[in-house]
Amino acid sequence: MRRTAALLSTHGGRSIPRALADVLVCPLSKQPLRYCEATGSLVSDAAGVSFPVLDGIPSLVPKDGKLLDDQEVKSEQESSTTDSSG
Amino acid sequence: MAMQAARRLASWSLQRRLLLPSQVQAPSIPTAAAAAAFLHSHATSFGYKQVREEDKSKLVGNVFSSVASSYDLMNDLMSVGLHRLWKDRLISKLNPFPGMKHLDVAGGTGDVAFRVLERIKSVGHRAMQGTLTETEEDTHIYVCDINPNMLNVGKKRAAERGYSKEHCLSWVQGDAEALSFEDGSMDGYTIAFGIRNVTHIEKALSEAYRVLKRGGRFLCLELSHVDVPVFKEIYDVYSFSVIPTIGELVAGDRQSYQYLVESIRRFPNQEKFAQMIQEAGFQRVEYENLVGGVVAIHSGLKL
Repeated sequence: MRRTAALLSTHGGRSIPRALADVLVCPLSKQPLRYCEATGSLVSDAAGVSFPVLDGIPSLVPKDGKLLDDQEVKSEQESSTTDSSG
Repeated sequence: MAMQAARRLASWSLQRRLLLPSQVQAPSIPTAAAAAAFLHSHATSFGYKQVREEDKSKLVGNVFSSVASSYDLMNDLMSVGLHRLWKDRLISKLNPFPGMKHLDVAGGTGDVAFRVLERIKSVGHRAMQGTLTETEEDTHIYVCDINPNMLNVGKKRAAERGYSKEHCLSWVQGDAEALSFEDGSMDGYTIAFGIRNVTHIEKALSEAYRVLKRGGRFLCLELSHVDVPVFKEIYDVYSFSVIPTIGELVAGDRQSYQYLVESIRRFPNQEKFAQMIQEAGFQRVEYENLVGGVVAIHSGLKL
């Protein structure tokens, strides 16, 4: 239940406050989110989608989600990005 | 003095209806599905225009991006300040308490959230004589809005009011139809002047039900249907002539306010909307008309 929080607590102030992280889930899968420091976004591994955080406001609108690259989801999986050209 | 008159007007023709304790206690799926199918078509309304479902959210988005900065001023002008009293009424029905987790949807400018917070503080302080208790520190209000411009206005106002230090307010951009909050995480859910703009009302209602804890309260403040004969005619003239004109003069945007008045007329009436709330699973559904039905507050409990 507090997986998101656990992942965020190591990160400290800049990202998302704990009270928020505690209750946030992916709007599509309703599964926990993971904060990705590299991209500054919230990642839903269950849905394979990442959501941006803009000015400290997580943007969890389904249509604003970006499909993760295959290698981000599973590094061992061979990439087959046929349907997401662009 | 003006406030007193306004208060009297706001409670004028105040009606209260308790709906039958739902004929379908645990809403049977076929009924709910049939109702949903009935309400559902692939064309949806944008004011009086029929638009494709995919387009509605975009069109509504344009409206709110366009009016975000003058939104609260416009509300004051259009409702002659009454929206403040209506929101106060909403909060007193919510009955906020210290330690509460509350979600306000479509409340980007913070208007409802700040009121909830103020009420909790006054309750807490009365009980604890000014000392900040641990329970009060647990208080958290989540503001969710689909429009980033509205959230930015709210965040700025929170900073101006000195709320940003207290860490009890969170701002999330999200869709009422697909909330990003955990099941059973909220004590209260409010949506003020927001549900009318949602493409699928029944989805928003079922999401509200999902995020609430057992015992949690759903409250919706929305412009509704006037059924008082002469007053209805006056209200129609006001809506269709005066409001778009104010919109043009103040917000520089006639069309957005034309949409506003049309969307009010398209929204299900009080009884119908109450029925939809029941179909989402809520119990003890009731509503209160304010100013003869210009606005209604619907309420339901997740038991």
